[in-house]
Amino acid sequence: MADNEDVGASVSEPLDLVRLSLDEIVFVKLRGDRELKGRLHAYDSHCNLVLGDVEETIYVVEEDENEEEVTRTIKKQEEMLFVRGDSVVLISPQA
Amino acid sequence: MSFFGFNTTLPRDRDRGPSSRGFFENPDPFAEVARASGIEDDDAIDFEDTYDGLGDQLDDDQDEFNDDTFGGGGDTATGGAVGRDFDFFGRTAQVADAIGEEQIRYSLQNPRAAPAAQQEIHAPPQPAAEPTTKRTGYEKYSDPGYIPDLQAKSSVWGNLQKKPEPSPAMMPAMPSMPAPSRKMMSLEEVEAQLRNQGHSFGHMAPQSMPQMHDPSFMRHPQDFPTLPEGFPTNIPPEILRAQLEKGGLPPHMAHPPPGVQELTTSPPQNLPPQGPRHAGPPAQRQQPMPPPPSRGPNGGLPVITNPQQLVHLTEEQRQAYLMEDAKRAKRNHKIFLLSRGNGLMTPQDKNFITRIQLQQLVAAAGNVADSDPEAVLAEDFYYQVYSQIRGAPRQHPHQPLGHFAQTYLLQTGNRIGGHGNRRAFQSADNHMQRMQQQVQRAVEAAKAKPKNKQLIIEGSLGKISFSNAKAPKHMLNIKRPDSSEGVRPKKLQSDLSVGDRKSLLGNIEAVYNALMSMEDMERTMPPPPEEGDTEAIQEHMEWRQKVQSLNQKLWQALKVMEPIVPNSTTPHPFIAFLSYAKGKKAIPRIFRHIDQEQRVTILTMIVVHLDSLDVVRLAQASGPGDAQLPVAVREAIDLFSLAVMPSLLGYVNEAPFNIIIGLLGLVIAQTQVIGVARTKIGLGILTMLLSRAELVKEAGQASERDWQQWVEKFNVLFDMLEPGLAHIFPGSINSGDDMYVWQFLAAVGIGASPEQQQRLVIAVKDRVMETVGYSKTLPADMASQRLGNVNLFMRAIGLDVELLG
Repeated sequence: MADNEDVGASVSEPLDLVRLSLDEIVFVKLRGDRELKGRLHAYDSHCNLVLGDVEETIYVVEEDENEEEVTRTIKKQEEMLFVRGDSVVLISPQA
Repeated sequence: MSFFGFNTTLPRDRDRGPSSRGFFENPDPFAEVARASGIEDDDAIDFEDTYDGLGDQLDDDQDEFNDDTFGGGGDTATGGAVGRDFDFFGRTAQVADAIGEEQIRYSLQNPRAAPAAQQEIHAPPQPAAEPTTKRTGYEKYSDPGYIPDLQAKSSVWGNLQKKPEPSPAMMPAMPSMPAPSRKMMSLEEVEAQLRNQGHSFGHMAPQSMPQMHDPSFMRHPQDFPTLPEGFPTNIPPEILRAQLEKGGLPPHMAHPPPGVQELTTSPPQNLPPQGPRHAGPPAQRQQPMPPPPSRGPNGGLPVITNPQQLVHLTEEQRQAYLMEDAKRAKRNHKIFLLSRGNGLMTPQDKNFITRIQLQQLVAAAGNVADSDPEAVLAEDFYYQVYSQIRGAPRQHPHQPLGHFAQTYLLQTGNRIGGHGNRRAFQSADNHMQRMQQQVQRAVEAAKAKPKNKQLIIEGSLGKISFSNAKAPKHMLNIKRPDSSEGVRPKKLQSDLSVGDRKSLLGNIEAVYNALMSMEDMERTMPPPPEEGDTEAIQEHMEWRQKVQSLNQKLWQALKVMEPIVPNSTTPHPFIAFLSYAKGKKAIPRIFRHIDQEQRVTILTMIVVHLDSLDVVRLAQASGPGDAQLPVAVREAIDLFSLAVMPSLLGYVNEAPFNIIIGLLGLVIAQTQVIGVARTKIGLGILTMLLSRAELVKEAGQASERDWQQWVEKFNVLFDMLEPGLAHIFPGSINSGDDMYVWQFLAAVGIGASPEQQQRLVIAVKDRVMETVGYSKTLPADMASQRLGNVNLFMRAIGLDVELLG
């Protein structure tokens, strides 16, 4: 565990930026028109994530009776979520 | 008595009554025609008239050999007349010996074929009897080569089966011929002989019986006792031995011969087609005793191939047989269950799995073999920490793992080796041994493998990356900057944008890095050096130095010593650090690793920036009387009180009095006291300082000069606080969470002069009365809690809520 990096040299690869968002609220975009917003508890090199207090938003495109496409959103609230990395499209710090 | 169960009574002996007619004994159907034609003779048509004389043209002189061919003219047992019961079998048997003779002559002429023929004749008993008696049903699973073997042999037998059987009647006629006499008799021969015995065919010579060489055919009860002596001397020893081995000798001979019955009454087609049954099996058929456990299920029991045979068994045998059958069915079911997945995996699949397992073993063993405990820790840090927290049951977590591969293999090897005597498992045993060797080789190879993760073969365009289960292949190879290179740009960046959120987060991560390093160092602390042990002292010194450098790293990352910029719009980096939840959480861990001076510095920084501390600032922003702070703020305040306050309190309780005085001075000088007092954290810190001062005074540790200084500061503080005392309570009376306020008031009250106490009571009197009045409407326990809180303050100034009654 001894990461003998110098102080301040903590960002040296892309995932180190994700590390900055540890314990912070992050916005995660997933494949399949899903988005997550929650506190990042943990991640790994595969972008597997553990999020807490997550709000999941699913976008569903449906056709109404006029055959117009209507986007419907489904929102779910999860206390804790494990996200498998292969579905992660982007991770953004929620400033 | 008839082999086929037909009525074999000869026509001349037969009662002509229709009821006694056998199946084939219908009167000649053409007899009626003849009779009819006899009747018709009286009619107009004369035979001679209609006969075209074709019969006269037949060549009659070529049927001299008809008798030879059809035996028509022979002196057969039928008395010369060709009966309807022509004895085909007997006819064949008569010439059988001639055929046998021909065969021997042939084998003598062709010496190359002779051994094979001889073998066919003599060898059979052993191999043939064994498979049939010992078949357990396991062979199929344990030795796949077995069945093809058996089939090949049975085809050999099939050839033999077709051989003509020398008639027993002719046997005495050729005693000089060694080959036929030595030859084991086939079942058909036995049948023929027995049938002949039962028949009234005259030439069936009973005296031929003693000359038969196979003892098991001597089923006449009177023969049994004398059998051992009665063995003809020319029986080949191997046959005798084979019979002895099969337990087919005297003890069983003494039993009544149900086998005779069996043989004579059961149709030949019911017998297994594997070929002639040697004496062994029939002898075993009569064996009533239970099979020895080591033998196959049929070891001592008859081979039942036909339900009819069951009928002929004794009650005991049947019982045993049924039990055996049940056992066999049970075992077959078990085998079925076990073999359900048989064949799902090809040998290649199995090899593949084995390779994966080997790789895992090598990875596990290899890591331990060539790395220090650090690597083990890196492998599963959380488990190691967890086990340490749990009391570290095993001191060397890597040690058991080191022997893992070996232990695993040995265990499984032993388990299978336990049943090693079974042939089926021998190959499995070998397999395990081979695998063990393979693992050893693989471990050796892993040790010898170069440490670097890549191999660049000369002349090739790419790199070959090694990977194993624990360290997957790297897809990207990003060279980490050396620490000396890395520092520069980062320093610049952090200097340029101090308040920048990203750099703040970076600072926090740097703090955590340093923290983790320090915690790691703590783990590797060498034992305290003894006097004179220079090496240990040296080691300890080095360790201390490392810890010191890490401490500096941590301190830098905390940015506590960044210059305070007055009236700056951006908060001090350390205060910003504390505004993050993870920053707050880090404080208790940081306090463990820093010295008192650093702690007081941190405390000073907090006190100086009390106004700008997020938990104070945000709580103020919500305005007085508004109990409902935003959730995030409330969470932050709670976290601060849980994580940061205890650390600060822990320090303050040991801090020298002059530091307390100095801190109080800083609060007065640097902060908006009334604003700070309206927040829980602000009040908490004030309470902390005031109560510490009181304790110091009580303990008599305070010098007179210090105390004077303190009282001065306190008076200033009190004067500043007094106007806002009514507003330090959070929200309305029913919000409940006001204990910390009463604590603060109590702390002020204790240190206050009687005149100040008076003013204090006046300032908060309304709230006291409200709370007492409100508590009367509450349930008893809640009411007493509220009153207890008020009493904290009341007693501090020498009063009690009871007095307000």
